[in-house]
Amino acid sequence: MKKVIITVAAALIIVAAVVAFKNVYSCKMPIRNRGIHDAIQTGDLDVLFIGSSTFRANIDMPTMDEAYDGRVYDISYGGNQLVATSIQYDELKRRSGNDYGLIVFELGPMMLTQEVALSDSRVIWDLTFEGKRELWRSMYAAGNTDFPMFYEYFVTSGMDDLITFPVTEPFYGTRYYKGAKTDETVSPGKAVLESEEFDISDKSLVKAQADAVVDIIQKCQKDGQGFVFLESPCYHRLQKDPTFIKYREEYIRILEENNAPYILADEVDFESDDPEFFEDMNHMSAKGRRAYTKELIQVFKKRFGTEEGSGND
Amino acid sequence: MSLISLPFFIFMLCFLCIYYKVGEKHQWKALLVGNAIFYVWANPVYIIFIIISIVSTWFLMRNPVKRNFILTIAINLGLLIVFKYSVNLGVRDLAAPLGISFYTFMTLGYAHDCYDKKIKPCNDLWHYALFISYFPQLTQGPIGTYQEMHDQLVAYHGYNRQNIKEGGYRIIIGIFKKLVIAGRVGFYIDTVYSSPVGRGGLTLIVATLFYLVEMYADFSGYMDIVCGVSKMLGINLKENFKRPYLSNSIPEYWRRWHISLNEWFMNHLYMPSVTAGWNRKLSRGLGKIFTKAKKGTLRCIFPTMLVWIVTGIWHGAKFSYLGWGIYFAFIMLLSFCTQSYIKKLNARIHWNTNNIFVKIFQVCRTLLILSCGEIIYRSESFSDMVAIFKGIFTNTRINGAEIAAAMTPFGNGNQAAASVIIILVLVTAQAVIEIKKEKDEKAFTGHRYIYAFAMLTIIALFGVAGKSSFMYQAF
Repeated sequence: MKKVIITVAAALIIVAAVVAFKNVYSCKMPIRNRGIHDAIQTGDLDVLFIGSSTFRANIDMPTMDEAYDGRVYDISYGGNQLVATSIQYDELKRRSGNDYGLIVFELGPMMLTQEVALSDSRVIWDLTFEGKRELWRSMYAAGNTDFPMFYEYFVTSGMDDLITFPVTEPFYGTRYYKGAKTDETVSPGKAVLESEEFDISDKSLVKAQADAVVDIIQKCQKDGQGFVFLESPCYHRLQKDPTFIKYREEYIRILEENNAPYILADEVDFESDDPEFFEDMNHMSAKGRRAYTKELIQVFKKRFGTEEGSGND
Repeated sequence: MSLISLPFFIFMLCFLCIYYKVGEKHQWKALLVGNAIFYVWANPVYIIFIIISIVSTWFLMRNPVKRNFILTIAINLGLLIVFKYSVNLGVRDLAAPLGISFYTFMTLGYAHDCYDKKIKPCNDLWHYALFISYFPQLTQGPIGTYQEMHDQLVAYHGYNRQNIKEGGYRIIIGIFKKLVIAGRVGFYIDTVYSSPVGRGGLTLIVATLFYLVEMYADFSGYMDIVCGVSKMLGINLKENFKRPYLSNSIPEYWRRWHISLNEWFMNHLYMPSVTAGWNRKLSRGLGKIFTKAKKGTLRCIFPTMLVWIVTGIWHGAKFSYLGWGIYFAFIMLLSFCTQSYIKKLNARIHWNTNNIFVKIFQVCRTLLILSCGEIIYRSESFSDMVAIFKGIFTNTRINGAEIAAAMTPFGNGNQAAASVIIILVLVTAQAVIEIKKEKDEKAFTGHRYIYAFAMLTIIALFGVAGKSSFMYQAF
């Protein structure tokens, strides 16, 4: 019986140690080319994007680099939510004294309808324990937690990456540059994009996400932080969807009510009905991302003056 | 109540205390009460159907004459058909009672053995009820026989620390297979098989191979847990798997996979069919067409087809299950019919079947044939099945783009490489263990505490939380 107890206790101790390491120190792992830690290590930035995979796919970092002399970064996570974005902003401010000229948040209409959840295990990795707790509280408040979720969130999520870090990190590191994709993704063609099925009609507003937008605005205004909400163009079929339009209007209403600056998709000279520019409804091809970023820089410079962009209209 | 759940853990803890405390006279009664609690926990209403099955079978088979035997079959198969195929019968919301497939097999097996006078009918209704409702094997087997189980179930088992340790170790192995191996590959398979159209051949091949891994890890993992739980109670269950993926041929594979089900079919459907009058007539008819064929071979044809079609239908009323049954009937028949020619051919070309490379070839060939069968089985529709075969045979290329596409179903791109590494390590480790055990049954029996420690740690850190339902529960 003694051996049984020792075996179980030893396993528990090892598990506890690994879990503690993951939850407390993972945010300091030397991850290259993506995430909050790497963004902080880059130093002061003129433009910092915080968003979802849409930003990751639609912003061409070498083009941005040229325009801003390398003082740019893109923090993006798969399905990143507004609730998480607000926490990521807090982390940046808490963990670094860096100066961020302009922080660009994502104006993704459908982000208002996302359930508060853990969308990407990389979020867990990049947050400090305090940030993790904060996100968990938001999920709990939204009623989206149970024991398996708790276990996944604090124990198993991101564990694969941790254990294989020395082998997988060099591989991942080459797939991104300053948080954005480097893949030469191509369009699947007009036929595919025109026939791709999507149904967002059953989506409804999630209050926590709408509150998070207000929260982000208030924090930036209080900190005197330059910021803007950017709507990245979607393929024209999605952009014309009535549900999409409804939540787009709702998002704009929230921004206007709180005096927040924003850039809409149609303010950038970009053909959202050109199939060559898209990989799917939300994400651009390499060709589209380059064309869009070039035009976006023009808008930034026009709206926010110089490379030092104040973020205030 | 899933066997991998906190309620079951608490139930088992309390039950073990009572089971070893009640004493010699009452232990089997305690087990019967435990069975009832386990059953009622799932759905109290459905206990009525298992009671109908138990009481009717016991009562009728006390006098095992033909009429009673037929009546027993009618009652039990009737219940099974009504519940199992209720959706197809138009009674949409009729969920099947827990373990109905498995206890029906046990009931019919018992009735057949009584009728054939292989066993004496059970005198005690409660003893019979204990045999049918024994909770560890109720939901997914193994399908125990009355001869193997009765004496063990009613005998007194004193507390034995060794049994508890061995049972616990076996349970850890089962949970490891289920949560770490099956859970990890399951997501990939679901993603690919739910939308196979347009996917590259490499992705489809990986998903199909993963499905073999998932099926084995899920089902044999469950059996490990069941045998472990039973061992803790001092009762040894029949082993249901014997390293099936190391089989040299498909017939051998079916002797090593879900052994109790295949033995049941052999004893209660195949053998009676071989000697049945209708089969003799039919095979005589075939003999007139295939004049050179051996009598023995001809007699196997219809029973083999019958067994495999019934096995397919038993899995459910879906085209894919029926197709799977027909496919394996064809493979088994092909194997029977070509057996003697292949032996002659082997001798002529001096094909040494003990050679390691020959063995590897045979194992790979078996896995290939098996994979084709599993594609039929797992496909969600006929068009999906066609798309998968077409994708594999006409669209398989190995290049950077295809490899990248094959990584996509792992989910988040960030985790693909990590998932690949972990799956490769786990599957390789499992394969090494199986190969070593094939050579030496005693391999890996030492250092159990170290293995248990390693498995517990990996389960806690890498187990897929919330994956507590098992594939075979659906049947």
